[in-house]
Amino acid sequence: MKIVLKAGGMLADYLKPDPVTHAREVEAGEGQTLRQILESIGVPPGHVAMAFVDSNIVHLLYVPKEGEVVTLRPPVQGG
Amino acid sequence: MGDALATQREGTMLKGFGGSSLRVNLRTGQVQRRPLDPAFARAWLGGRGYVCKVLYDEVPRDADPLGPLNRLVVSPGVMSGNFGPTGSKCCFGAVSPLTGAHGDSTVGGHFGPELKFAGYDLIVFEEIAQGPVYLFVDDDRVELRDASKYWGKGTIEAEEMLKHDLGEDFEIAAIGPAGESMVTFACIGHDFGRQAGRCGVGAVMGSKRLKAIAVRGTRSVPIHDLPGLKELTMGVIKRTSTHPNMAPWQKFGTAMFVGWSNEHGVYPTHNFQTTYFEPYAGIDGQPLVDKLLVSNKACSGCWMNCGKYARVTLPEKPTIHVEGPEYETGSLCGGNCGFDKIEEVAYVNWVCDQTGIDTMSGGGFVAFGMECYEKGFITREQLEGHELRWGSVDDFEHFVDMIVHRRGIGDWFARGIVYAAGQIGHDSIRFTAQVKGQGMSGYDGRGAPAMLLSYMTADIGAHHNRSWTITMDEDLGKAVIKGKAKVVVYLQHIRPFFDVVSCCRLFWGEVDVTVEEHIEAIRLMTGWSDFTLEEAMRLSDRLWNLNRAHFLERNGGPGRKHDYPPARFYEEAVPSGPGKGARLTMEDLDVMLDEYYAARGWSRDGNPSREILEDLGLPETATRLETLDLLGPLMAPLPEVRGERYKPKAF
Ligand code: SF4
Repeated sequence: MKIVLKAGGMLADYLKPDPVTHAREVEAGEGQTLRQILESIGVPPGHVAMAFVDSNIVHLLYVPKEGEVVTLRPPVQGG
Repeated sequence: MGDALATQREGTMLKGFGGSSLRVNLRTGQVQRRPLDPAFARAWLGGRGYVCKVLYDEVPRDADPLGPLNRLVVSPGVMSGNFGPTGSKCCFGAVSPLTGAHGDSTVGGHFGPELKFAGYDLIVFEEIAQGPVYLFVDDDRVELRDASKYWGKGTIEAEEMLKHDLGEDFEIAAIGPAGESMVTFACIGHDFGRQAGRCGVGAVMGSKRLKAIAVRGTRSVPIHDLPGLKELTMGVIKRTSTHPNMAPWQKFGTAMFVGWSNEHGVYPTHNFQTTYFEPYAGIDGQPLVDKLLVSNKACSGCWMNCGKYARVTLPEKPTIHVEGPEYETGSLCGGNCGFDKIEEVAYVNWVCDQTGIDTMSGGGFVAFGMECYEKGFITREQLEGHELRWGSVDDFEHFVDMIVHRRGIGDWFARGIVYAAGQIGHDSIRFTAQVKGQGMSGYDGRGAPAMLLSYMTADIGAHHNRSWTITMDEDLGKAVIKGKAKVVVYLQHIRPFFDVVSCCRLFWGEVDVTVEEHIEAIRLMTGWSDFTLEEAMRLSDRLWNLNRAHFLERNGGPGRKHDYPPARFYEEAVPSGPGKGARLTMEDLDVMLDEYYAARGWSRDGNPSREILEDLGLPETATRLETLDLLGPLMAPLPEVRGERYKPKAF
């Protein structure tokens, strides 16, 4: 199945999304957690401060659904 | 006063600045207005820069931080009030009663811009008033007024009353009862929930019997190239509006970091005993938004609105409104005190805001009290028959009341955590979470050595706004000790620079507004076409060394002896959670300090060398240190570039 990951800042250097939409479509296995998906495409989960689906916080154990847009954000500068 | 001030206005019309400074003698009531010297403006830029310079030059070495010879300095920097990304800040500074040396703290909201609109870049308060006063500033009209009716009121209440009495369009900075009673970690509140929170600047304001500053400004700030600035800023707004970090930031603010910090083994829990708080999901950003949010709240000119205005109803408590809790409060007044419900964290946040104590040091110091109570080092009798249990709102509120009114052992804590530990005994100093008396921010450095080094070496004590390194610690390895110090130096120059120019660093940190764009904005504001990032970083380096010299002159040397954290942070391993087993040794700390001092051009003892001070244009400071035998020899060739930008491995 396909999901869309979005990221900017430091995470974009790992994810390599479209520079305008910040999005990249990726292939994910059924039942894979977000952590597993990120590891499979070379995005270090340690750099993901949190993820959002429909503007709600999800965690790295979240299992995305087909077509879902997951926004990732890095823990950039610590407030 | 107004006419006299108006005639004093010499109209240098420095672009980007308000153009004037005020000097207020609280004892005599005299207010002097002076035009801002263009050379001073360029050399120190404003905000934290002016604060450092004034404190270093004017406060005698042996002056009591709570005595008449200390200064309270207020300064919005060059970007404040200007249409840039985003000038909303104002710096408050004084010799800190917590650290005994230079202290500064920056607040957002609208106060800084309003001061600029009134024409002021700097206010210096001297001496002590006979009775409670507030400073009234209405453009050129500046006067000290009786504040008796506001004295004793909570910070938020005093702000409400002053707005009611003077008009909604006045911006207010006020202290609460904690500032009045000179609690050493008292803050200055503004905009119903924002604070200049750190270093005890509120205590200094209280020591001067200055309850508040009320300001209204109706002028605009002259801009060198307004069309150019508008184009730059509009471009930044457009670009950042679609940045993936923007929507989550707007929705949750910094509160969303609670879960991340917890999962990464750096979340302070039960007075930094461990770094994992199992019920964290109850106090993360999500329940804040789902259960308490009334509206988002932003500082002047900001389109990121990270402030979360919340309404809280707890059984048997008044319904209250509070801005927050943001991450630091959500950690230090959250799991660190054992609170597992967002309503509880928000309520104690309000208790701190209203009484006027810093939620960071306040949360940390109360948590220390809770651990002492748990260990039996503090008794129920000493707590006036109450307890001090993890996660008890009643106990927290009662203990804060003891501190604010300095009753019994509350007075020990009001004097600071180091003093309290000394009175409590039992070697409790070893589990105080502080460096140089300043309570640690909401990250445990055992799982992030460079973060601990950041606390150890920060000029104002253990505060994260100088350097925050956890991403790097993750990336290079949490157990890695070597090779990180140069990055700490780099961050200590870049991050506090935003407090010099008084804009919000979160745009740089969160949505990729570059430092170069900020520098360009300053050029467009001021017309200083030759202003560069190198000049800015050199100023940061100069301020860092000036503050180090200030600290040593007031606290004695060698510097190294002040730079170690309490024993918990190099003796105890983290006992639970994802960070379990993380542990540093004294040897690790020494390796980091050696690297750090070499990167700064200091001696092995942690004292600045003549070479570095002269290189930064501070020869008089070198002489002052030499006279006190505090000047150190260089331990390595003077580094040409101090600090090193960190690039994650993927670059
Ligand atoms: S991001 Fe937050 S702190 Fe920064 S200016 Fe905006 S509202 Fe204020």
